[in-house]
Amino acid sequence: MVETALKEKKCRGEFIKPGRHYLEGSEACVEGALLAGMKVYAGYPITPASEIMEHASRRLPQVGGRFIQMEDEISAVCALIGASWAGAKAMTATSSPGFSLMQEAISFSIMTETPLVIVDVQRPGPGQGYITTSQEDVMQARYGHHGEGPIIALAPSSVQDMFELTIEAFNLSEKWRTPVLIMADETVAHMREQLIVPELDTIEILGRRKPQDLNISPEAYLPYGHDIVPPMANFGEGYNINHVSLAHHADGSVGNYSLEVHRENIERLHQKIEGNVNEIARVESQFLDDCDHVLICYGSVARTGLEAVREVREVHGIKIGFIRLVTLWPFPEEKLRNLISMVKTIFVPEMNLGMIKHPITGALRDKCDQVIPMPEIGVLHHPDKLVNQILEVTTC
Amino acid sequence: MLKHPMLKYINEEGPSGKRFPHLLCPGCGAGQVLNYTLHAVDDLINQTGAKKEAFVFISGVGCSSRLTSHYLNFDSAWTLHGRALPIATGVLLANPELKIIVFTGDGDAAAIGGNHFIHAFRRNINVTVICVNNGLYGMTGGQVAPTTPPFTSTPTTPYGNIEDAFDLCKLAEVAGASYISRWTTAHPIQTTKAIKKGITNKGASFIEILSQCPVHEHQTPVEMTKALKEITVSIKKSMDSNKIPVGELHFAPRPTWTERYESVIEKANEMIS
Repeated sequence: MVETALKEKKCRGEFIKPGRHYLEGSEACVEGALLAGMKVYAGYPITPASEIMEHASRRLPQVGGRFIQMEDEISAVCALIGASWAGAKAMTATSSPGFSLMQEAISFSIMTETPLVIVDVQRPGPGQGYITTSQEDVMQARYGHHGEGPIIALAPSSVQDMFELTIEAFNLSEKWRTPVLIMADETVAHMREQLIVPELDTIEILGRRKPQDLNISPEAYLPYGHDIVPPMANFGEGYNINHVSLAHHADGSVGNYSLEVHRENIERLHQKIEGNVNEIARVESQFLDDCDHVLICYGSVARTGLEAVREVREVHGIKIGFIRLVTLWPFPEEKLRNLISMVKTIFVPEMNLGMIKHPITGALRDKCDQVIPMPEIGVLHHPDKLVNQILEVTTC
Repeated sequence: MLKHPMLKYINEEGPSGKRFPHLLCPGCGAGQVLNYTLHAVDDLINQTGAKKEAFVFISGVGCSSRLTSHYLNFDSAWTLHGRALPIATGVLLANPELKIIVFTGDGDAAAIGGNHFIHAFRRNINVTVICVNNGLYGMTGGQVAPTTPPFTSTPTTPYGNIEDAFDLCKLAEVAGASYISRWTTAHPIQTTKAIKKGITNKGASFIEILSQCPVHEHQTPVEMTKALKEITVSIKKSMDSNKIPVGELHFAPRPTWTERYESVIEKANEMIS
């Protein structure tokens, strides 16, 4: 077996210490990634995501990892793919125009079942657009890449989330052998606030399941078989793994392939993520008992959204509940339906013109009278504006 | 039955059935290139003690990239069009001990992968790039490539190609590759030696192999192989003929990216104390 070269003997850098910290979201993201086991970061600079890259360039060589600035966002994700195949946990961060360039490699990673983590610090588009905050890539996260490729996408709303959800993203990525997206926004990436790091041995860190763990010999090994999440051998271990994105059999062979083989594989890839949506996806809720209305949001908007819901309840006495989607994709339809019995209005504030409003409407159209989008472009919703909009609808 | 000695590195069948016959057209040069490469790898395993499991074959998309598909009994990856080199870069970031061989074609390397091509050489990553240059896009129907000679008529240049061709070896040299050779499919011994030297060189090695596509050029493999000998001349014999020079064109070893990154690790850890 080839000796792994990420030798840590020379490295004296430490992980972030348990306790209270005052950090920027971007820094919390990198510190979380290092704890999760990130050994490779490959990226390309772009505003407003460059802080993550710069912090990774400082920290990785301190703890036995490698950092590289690639020639573009396409090659950045490709480098993550190679690193992942050679056994390293790998991450990149970008912003919306760069995220568009990454779609080819995201599609490829889904098909080759390659664990990796991509942070998108969203900014307004289309085109170069603007460089403030945004949630305009949330549909691109799911549907931007070609083909029927399910994806896992998380939406952080605090510096604490940038830390915790990054660890969760690595864990999900390794567990389900799939790329995981962290759909951050400029607000949460540049926000500075308290981060509480728990005792490090209480943090769950998952690694990928390997054929060696299941006593599968190289001769019997099927890189796309054995289970709904196939065990993954690393390069250099003598398993002769063949990574392929053309329609393939469980053994990676593209010989004698048929549409039937392709359909079976796509069905498995789909079931792997969508069939486990209730295990993968998380939602948080407050004030749902006896509520007449509910506000559903995600990302930074969950901060001002919760503030607005509190004010509407406490000052104006209107029964409105609050739901935050921690996971955007796979879309937690069943969990949402179980949370809500019947309401009059569902408010959906988003920093776009109404995107996640669509799957929300699809999931809950029979459980409400109306779904009202609350769009904003390029700036975080002001709580007063949300309060006024909610009052206009609920008190008329 | 007498078997080809390199079949020991080939999967003729697998759990899901036969993998042979292969997908290459009769008379294609890519199969010859695979044969020369496996001979080079076999020599290194037998003569230098190189471990078989340390070799990783990575390719992009195109006829020559098919060489790393399921036939190869090595760690391998058949990746995105033009993107084999950034993927190889990532593999080395995680494990610099691996010996990576990239199979690529002229379109894969010089058109869609052109940016990655120059940056991988600039970084001098430890990779051996074997470019099967047939001067056209074979898999998609023989369209013009960045290596197609001017005035050539192809399915997308029906009135003749108005663009000049890349000299891939010169491009690799100015970009920073530390070992460069050019041979043809008609030079089996020389090509095998060049590939061995490329793999042994610690750094970015580029080996261009001029190859034939009998299907799209409407000639027999025999005619084309003869032509490959006629249009080329050894670099040792002539520098100024109108023929294409073949042989070792450049050898200037320098530290690889991962070797230089050791200084980054040292500085980063010095600054902690």
